[in-house]
Amino acid sequence: MSHSSSWHLRSIILLALISLFFGVIFWVISPLYDVLTAILTPMGLAPFANEILIGVWCMAGPVAGYLLRIPVAAFLGEFIGAAVEMLLGSQWGASDLIAGAIQGVGSELGFTLTGYKRYNWGTLLLSAVTVTLVTFGWDMIKNGYGSYHLPLLLGLLAVRFLSNFFFGGVLTKAIVNLLDRAHVLGTGATPQN
Amino acid sequence: MVNLVNVTVHDFTFQYDHAPRPTLNHVNVTFPDHRFSLLSGPSGTGKSTLLKSIAGLYPEFSGHQLSGTITLGEHAVSDIAASQRSSLVTLLFQDPNQQFAMDTVEHELVFALENLQVPANEINDRLDKALAFIGISQLKHRTLTQLSGGEKQKVALAIIVAMNSQVILLDEPFASVDPEARHSLLLNLKRLVNQGKTVILADHDLTEYETIADNVFALDSASRQIKELDRDERYQLFQPFTRPLSQQFSLPQQQPEMMSVQDLKLVQNGRLLLGPSTFALMAHRATLITGANGTGKSTFFSALTRLTNYTGLITYQQKNIQKIRRSRYATTVNLMFQDAETQFVNVTVNEELALSIKHSQTNFYTQHRIDSMLADLNLTEHRNQVLYSLSEGQKKKVQLVCMLIMGAPVLLLDEPFKGLDYQSLQVVAQLLKSAMTELGQTLIVISHQLNGLDGLFNYHLQLRDGQFSYQEALG
Amino acid sequence: MNPTVKLTLIMVLALEISFTQSITMNVILTLLGLIYLLIHRIRWQTLFYFLTIPGLFAAALVWSLLYQGTATNHFAGVIFSRMYAYVFLGGAFSLTTTPYQLAQSLEQNAHLPTKFVYGILAAVNMLPRIRREVATIRSAAQMRGVTLHFWSPVLYFKAILAALKWSENTAEAMTSHGYVEDTPRSHVITISISRCDYVTAVSLFILLQGILFLPVP
Repeated sequence: MSHSSSWHLRSIILLALISLFFGVIFWVISPLYDVLTAILTPMGLAPFANEILIGVWCMAGPVAGYLLRIPVAAFLGEFIGAAVEMLLGSQWGASDLIAGAIQGVGSELGFTLTGYKRYNWGTLLLSAVTVTLVTFGWDMIKNGYGSYHLPLLLGLLAVRFLSNFFFGGVLTKAIVNLLDRAHVLGTGATPQN
Repeated sequence: MVNLVNVTVHDFTFQYDHAPRPTLNHVNVTFPDHRFSLLSGPSGTGKSTLLKSIAGLYPEFSGHQLSGTITLGEHAVSDIAASQRSSLVTLLFQDPNQQFAMDTVEHELVFALENLQVPANEINDRLDKALAFIGISQLKHRTLTQLSGGEKQKVALAIIVAMNSQVILLDEPFASVDPEARHSLLLNLKRLVNQGKTVILADHDLTEYETIADNVFALDSASRQIKELDRDERYQLFQPFTRPLSQQFSLPQQQPEMMSVQDLKLVQNGRLLLGPSTFALMAHRATLITGANGTGKSTFFSALTRLTNYTGLITYQQKNIQKIRRSRYATTVNLMFQDAETQFVNVTVNEELALSIKHSQTNFYTQHRIDSMLADLNLTEHRNQVLYSLSEGQKKKVQLVCMLIMGAPVLLLDEPFKGLDYQSLQVVAQLLKSAMTELGQTLIVISHQLNGLDGLFNYHLQLRDGQFSYQEALG
Repeated sequence: MNPTVKLTLIMVLALEISFTQSITMNVILTLLGLIYLLIHRIRWQTLFYFLTIPGLFAAALVWSLLYQGTATNHFAGVIFSRMYAYVFLGGAFSLTTTPYQLAQSLEQNAHLPTKFVYGILAAVNMLPRIRREVATIRSAAQMRGVTLHFWSPVLYFKAILAALKWSENTAEAMTSHGYVEDTPRSHVITISISRCDYVTAVSLFILLQGILFLPVP
């Protein structure tokens, strides 16, 4: 498909499907999250399970933003998946919806800062930074991260960034490169250098 | 209101993005109103492209129209406002799984009628009448994903009836439809024609159309042109589909078993699709599985590869397949999927071949042998090409070569000959034969295509009324 | 209650409790959600799941905050009860509203463009196929000796290829069924927001604010 500047039915379905596919893949690995939590809990380090895997959660955003190249795509790619997860009755309930919106804003911000004009490594890196900062700020409020001692807090932040950097940056770029090589994105899909 | 609407295609040329040449090249044809027109031609020659262009979906969704016009009655399709188009022409798609947006039958019908801005108080009445016309009133509240292929296509036709479209287009609509549903759908289409509708149906399998089609058109794969057939040509065209094939098979007697199936039951959407069935699959032989569309052949393969749930016991060399480690079992019983793209893991032909070579379980396929296989299948100059830009026939051939190189003890093949030209078919049959005789591979093949495969299969396993049995003859 | 009103109320409340630190408020919202679900006769298995699983994760988080941080017991209580409030607020919506009902309400009451409403709904209705496709992708790779993990680009590449194909086919099918973007549609069922919906939602919200001023934890 070629990139157009506004939303059409097909791009909306594509965005929603990508979001749901990523949701299903995450759901497939959710036992890993449970195991990590169980291992880390005795040391009082349960949140690290979240930090290690958060990049997978936040991946639909950069992928959608990078593929569709329309403002709000990254936000919606993230938010739709979370909203559907809540609609299907997840163990996180209404916090899914809010988390989805926060993560969406975080991912989107990286693309906004480049003015939706540049789609390259730097954009993905920037998006990984913004999503890390925005979501971390949110967890300071919602999950009480503010009461951690500073070294642990910095540790959490570092792991979260690494996770977002790997999944939202390295892995997302690898996926997009495969799609580019397969010529399935139509003209104009190659990153502008 | 009965309008007489000819569908006229004039000097029409259409090309997809990234395609080396036009799919349809200066095509001229008129499908007369009030008639059942059959458009025949091999898979992948542009039948779908033409129907989607008539329906006004192309070039909106894909490709470029390079020349010509298509008119419905007096209006060019491109001039008809999108909101008016669907009451004039509607397309029933090939894949019954990808033509609905809603969850239930009722909701999908409501969606279509709301789109046409039918007044709210008329919608329920029109919906019920359409379901009754097709004879599926009992499906009204069912979930679409839980219907069989045949039921889905009946629902799709009911929607067209409810929308009251003047021109009804159908793109290979019976690919996953059981014979009973197919027969009933054809009768309903004939009734619609008698009521004044124009029906254009594209198919490559021409069974049962001879008495139903008013006009028959053929799309020639070489010239990319369409012409209407006269009486003699019609006779020629239908002949292979009416003459029974006379292949003979042996019955398994002393042959050792590779896999066995005991009391196998496959339940789909709460309905018993297959079984209980008990039989064995023979080692180092080629077994052909036949049976009507939509009766559970592919689902059986899904069970053999642990992609679907079943009850009963399936064993591989006397071991319950559920007890074998998944990664090991996956390389033991390989499946060549019906859809070639499902099989691919990489981007280019060479990469895909390299992956198979790397994980091959045999040293039978030397570089030299692989090169000559590719040459025989006319794939040599496509080795650096992107898999997803190959033609359907080329994809199928690459897929087959890759699965042969894997050299798994058991290879299941689901419609491996679909879309192959006659020459490729001969090469493929020879490759399968040598895989069996020289490598001792066990081959289980689902195929509708039987012409030109004489002597390949040792046994014939027939699926009929939910039961498998070995047969000596076809039919 | 009208789905759009219900969703708005629940989102506002969920957002509010993310910033406030009232255990009482969280507990009352949890109980209200629980009662609402009991009235709607949800399955016992679902209720059991909602009562146990979030507790485990909440306990793990709270333990971490107490062990590795400076959290007070009250703050730990807030975090713990907040998790339950989220779950029962979410459940009060998701277990009593179908995606179809929500879509109709978002179209007619929230006036969301229909291309978003029905585009997303169409994708949601493909969820069973999405699950099957992921299993098929992994299996096809496994037959070739490759195990795909959640960090394998190919897994996502194949998923996006499927999404590209399905989105085109579905958009074409919807178009063939008469759907045209930004064009008026009729509605077989008119979904309205009754005065009762507004009154209930607003008064519930105001009443709950009172809790914040009570001398309770």
